[in-house]
Amino acid sequence: MSLQLQNNQRFDVSSIQFLAVGDFQKKVRDALSNGYRMIALTPIENNSPDKIIAVFADNISSSIHIIGGKFDKSKLEFESFANEFPQTNYFECELSENNGYVPLNHPWLRPVRNQNVILGNKPYQFYKLEGEEVHEVAVGPIHAGVIEPGHFRFQCHGELVYNLEINLGYQHRSVEKLILEANPNQRIILSESIAGDTTVGHTFAHCSVVESLSQAQLSLRAEVIRTIASEIERIAMHLSGLGGVANDVGFALPSASYGRLRTLAINSLLALCGSRFARGLFVYGGVRFDLNDEILNVIKKNLEVIKNDVTEINNYLFNSIGVLTRFEDTGTVSKNLAQNIGLVGLAARSSGLEEDVRISFPYSAYRYNPVSMITLSSGDVFARARLRALEIDESLRFIFDQLDNLPSGEIKSQLGEIKNNSGVISIIEGWRGEIVHIAITDASGNIVQYKIKDPSFNNWYGLSLALRKTAISDFPLCNKSFDLSYAGHDL
Amino acid sequence: MNDAIKIRILQGDPIVHDVRNVKFPERYRGLPLIQDKVCANGCSKCADICPTNAIKLNPVQIDLGLCVFCPLCEEVCPEKIIHFTNDYHTAVDTRESLIISKEIKSISPEAASEKIRKYFGKSLKLRQISAGGCNGCELELNALSNVNFDMGRYGIEFVASPRHADGIVITGPITNNMAKATEICYEAVPNPKIIILFGACAISGGIFKESNKIQRDFIEKNKIDLFIPGCPPHPLTFINGVIDWLDKK
Repeated sequence: MSLQLQNNQRFDVSSIQFLAVGDFQKKVRDALSNGYRMIALTPIENNSPDKIIAVFADNISSSIHIIGGKFDKSKLEFESFANEFPQTNYFECELSENNGYVPLNHPWLRPVRNQNVILGNKPYQFYKLEGEEVHEVAVGPIHAGVIEPGHFRFQCHGELVYNLEINLGYQHRSVEKLILEANPNQRIILSESIAGDTTVGHTFAHCSVVESLSQAQLSLRAEVIRTIASEIERIAMHLSGLGGVANDVGFALPSASYGRLRTLAINSLLALCGSRFARGLFVYGGVRFDLNDEILNVIKKNLEVIKNDVTEINNYLFNSIGVLTRFEDTGTVSKNLAQNIGLVGLAARSSGLEEDVRISFPYSAYRYNPVSMITLSSGDVFARARLRALEIDESLRFIFDQLDNLPSGEIKSQLGEIKNNSGVISIIEGWRGEIVHIAITDASGNIVQYKIKDPSFNNWYGLSLALRKTAISDFPLCNKSFDLSYAGHDL
Repeated sequence: MNDAIKIRILQGDPIVHDVRNVKFPERYRGLPLIQDKVCANGCSKCADICPTNAIKLNPVQIDLGLCVFCPLCEEVCPEKIIHFTNDYHTAVDTRESLIISKEIKSISPEAASEKIRKYFGKSLKLRQISAGGCNGCELELNALSNVNFDMGRYGIEFVASPRHADGIVITGPITNNMAKATEICYEAVPNPKIIILFGACAISGGIFKESNKIQRDFIEKNKIDLFIPGCPPHPLTFINGVIDWLDKK
């Protein structure tokens, strides 16, 4: 009854069965009970909000499942799944906010991106704790550093945080809508600007969607250059994250050193494509810039320095008693909790979940050149920091492997016509975790639905829960250990 | 202790000593130059392909306030009229100076008024506001404080509170949801104060110009002191822009 697909596989919209509400609910509940992870809950087309699709990923069979539901236009209601399966909580909130659905008996319906929003006929109220010696700390949208805006409400008892509520949407630029209205050249630039720290990840997903819709065959060389850029981005942002956590515990020397190494990583992208964030690298059908000997040498030289120095700096950081005291048992998310709330990517792997799209849903050059799954079990700041260090090693290994065995060939292939009445779901492992892009076309091949899910959409709630019974003074450290995107969440 | 010394030795001397004359990689796209050549008959390929409509024709002009420095126009031009050089000195002090035509070979801001130079010439503290920025610009502003660029050596620093700041640096197109916070933050900065726009989104809305979720009133009603074009601009573009403007050469 559900449509089963591979990552990046084109499907006919007509092959989705749109079930009546009761059957839809049952099917979705079955999927969730099977351990599938929800990756989207959205109307198939914004003009007909009564037809929705629930999309699931199943790591074990590497398959994506679509369950369609048809609602009565005057009664966009369903029984919330979130009481039993908390991972659907935020997806239901989003569907409610964007399309006016009412998830009945939802445990905590709240705004996702809009401010001053009315949900269920009343203005949204922040969660409030009352009692003696209870106090509230409100922070943001503008924070102390050079970072993106978001509003955080802490309900505290003394130093301890009882509840942290994270209210986002300040970065909302309506990217999804703009992508629908844009021409193809604008779409790539928009994808590069979904989250500026994950330019490669989002542009990768966007290009994959369009290429699958138009049945393009990429050369292996183009795929390899894409994955190399993707891993350099991962290394750069992991170095930035390590520098951030080191800085947050006042450990200045490693922090400065990680910063220096990050410059080398992004300057490698600068040499490759003229932008420190790999803007301009991706084009439909491949990449714009090729690797030549000179650039290859620059990249190799930079990465050699990183490889050598990062080992020393990691030893220094992770052998410091002071650092370990701050990192260990701080902001812990247990494996069980991580699974229930549907954490993805780096944060999930730090809690012991095997969530890596490069391995579970292999795409592009990862199909031929796999990377290893790395997980840690403690789920605390230590695990999230340590995992970054381990993943940098693995990414370096992958890149050196690729650079030494570069396939020859063209870097750009021709695109066919975009297929009409079709859809594609593309999942990519960005440096934070699972990025999902979904596109649906109409009878004349125009894209009529475009849905984006940044890993931050799943993981912000993880940060909220990690803060429970943690000292409020540890918030910056916990926040940096997750290092989530506001722009990617807000779109 | 030994480990610390080892790390310090590895650190070497990473700072960019001469921020004015750095050789950028060949593929870096900085200031575009426009050749004094005639376009092919009726050709409008560059203007048609530009994702942010930054190009005007007859004669060819590029608005760096809108430009996201993708190389599409350079790629499609049959006459090779547009070429992005790797000149990273692209900051200016007026919106009009961002319009590049064939006469323009380099751009830089005019020095600020004597009063401004007297107030801020030796120390400039800035409060950054991210108002819809994708985090690209924010990362480059953060990079200004790292060991490579070390903007602090010029007395320029980012501070946490607008009360401690001499001005604001805006990134992002200013979303509806950030419009009010931006106003409040600017009001909290004591006079005299400056406004710096960092990146195409802040200067013009950039790729988000057509979004109905952005609010550009703040930019329109206030005097802007410095424009740093790019997507995102390079940290050195910012440093050079500010030191040129404050005449700290």
